[in-house]
Amino acid sequence: MSEAPALHSRRPLTLRFDIPISRTHEFWDSLRAGRFVTTKCSKCGNVSFPPQSDCSKCMGSEFHWVDLGQDATLVTYTQVMTVPASFSAEGSYTVAIAEFRGGVKVLAWLEGVRAEDATSGMKLKVEARTRSDGSPYYVFVPA
Amino acid sequence: MTRVAVVGIGHSRFGRRTDVNIGELAFESIKQAIDDAGVERRDIGNVVVGSAGGWYEESLPAVVVGEYAGLSGAGTMRVEAACASGSAAVKAAYNSILSGETEVAMAVGVEKMTEVDSPTSVELIGRAGSYTWEFENYGMTFPAYYALYAVAHMNQFGTTQEDLARVSVKAHRYGASNPLAHFQKEITLEKAMGSQMVAWPLKLYDACPLSDGSATVVLASEEAAKKLTDTPVWIRGVGYSSDTANLSRRGNYVGLRAAVEAAARAYAMAKVSPKDIDVATAHDCFTIAELMAYEDLGFCKKGEGAKMIREGETELGGRIPVNLDGGLKAKGHPIGATGVSMAVEITKQLRGEAGRHQAQIKKGLGLTHNIGGTGHYAYVTVYSRD
Repeated sequence: MSEAPALHSRRPLTLRFDIPISRTHEFWDSLRAGRFVTTKCSKCGNVSFPPQSDCSKCMGSEFHWVDLGQDATLVTYTQVMTVPASFSAEGSYTVAIAEFRGGVKVLAWLEGVRAEDATSGMKLKVEARTRSDGSPYYVFVPA
Repeated sequence: MTRVAVVGIGHSRFGRRTDVNIGELAFESIKQAIDDAGVERRDIGNVVVGSAGGWYEESLPAVVVGEYAGLSGAGTMRVEAACASGSAAVKAAYNSILSGETEVAMAVGVEKMTEVDSPTSVELIGRAGSYTWEFENYGMTFPAYYALYAVAHMNQFGTTQEDLARVSVKAHRYGASNPLAHFQKEITLEKAMGSQMVAWPLKLYDACPLSDGSATVVLASEEAAKKLTDTPVWIRGVGYSSDTANLSRRGNYVGLRAAVEAAARAYAMAKVSPKDIDVATAHDCFTIAELMAYEDLGFCKKGEGAKMIREGETELGGRIPVNLDGGLKAKGHPIGATGVSMAVEITKQLRGEAGRHQAQIKKGLGLTHNIGGTGHYAYVTVYSRD
């Protein structure tokens, strides 16, 4: 079957966003220093992840940074086989949601264990990583 | 307060529609719906277009579609609730009648997903959630988000990959005789089980396709409906809710809180309970989503979704038939069109016009369950013959 006639658009659109992190850049700065931190509301004590400068519980805007430590427990996971266009260079990767003490949950790649071999309740550690362009990110690895 | 009825329905063929652009595609269902309702276009006070957009060239689909179908001049807007945009459009059109602003309104759901290549489509859907925290560094995809739920459900309740495949087999069985469906072929359990993994443990046959399509309903006030039709289908209850953008902030991964809340609100408004529903559509973007829908809608207890599919309770002739049009899995899932397509299917069922897939209508009640994103948005609507 031949393709239907189409007007192949000649005006490609590339979007690259400059996402402001002025209020939460300490998360990324700490990560570079090997610490995994997030925000805690100074008024009601709500700990948020992702970090946020305004509290979604009490709407207060005073906060401080707390260290979440390294230890987390695996909650659920998958292995992404069909990847998005912008991840085509990565091949396949395992993604996990893990819970830190106190109940904060975080989504990140899980390295060193295939999804089929993972089990919920597994003990994990969060580790900082750096991409080739110097940008920081974090992953889970088996403890 | 007036009541609001569906008085006209239209539905394009779903699939890879490289033969039509966005306006032409929307026109197919708009024309059918107008003819079915027997209304004049000038009497339609509000045209709400449900479309997530981003994968086709037009930024303002509501006005492009309006111009093409000769509806310019009507009040209009595009609404977005991800994969529930169609139900959001029905809700907005319904509200404009309830408020007394207009007697007749239209909801058009339309999406054109195949003008970009598949990896780009996968990318655009993967970004739907929390871009910064779950996509930028981790490349989440739509199947991957639902796979997180599938794994948790399997671990907690013993749901198996075969249970998921059964949902797909059911969808294809009904899709096979829906002439408007993207896939019109039955499949075997073996074929579903043997298909390529897209996000472990979800396979290609656990996932709905990327489709193009449109669907339209014309809604009318009680007074207008009585003049227009002998077979109005009334909107008896609408419930909607939402959940966090970040999946990491969800309380559990075995059900969709937004769907549970939307269902409770819809049942309360309609003054009905799950056991009163004769026929339903459930948002089966992935097979696990249909099993969770059975539970979230109260068709069974939490954790017993797999049992329902194993025992055939949601088949034609079962206790509560679900997705007799093939569902998102086989009929296709043109994001913005899906919710309106569900309204069309339930209207057909309640009118007794569903042909080979006509459910037995005892209490005259049908339900649509339409989810946006990964339980980010949820719309549950109860329709009634009386």
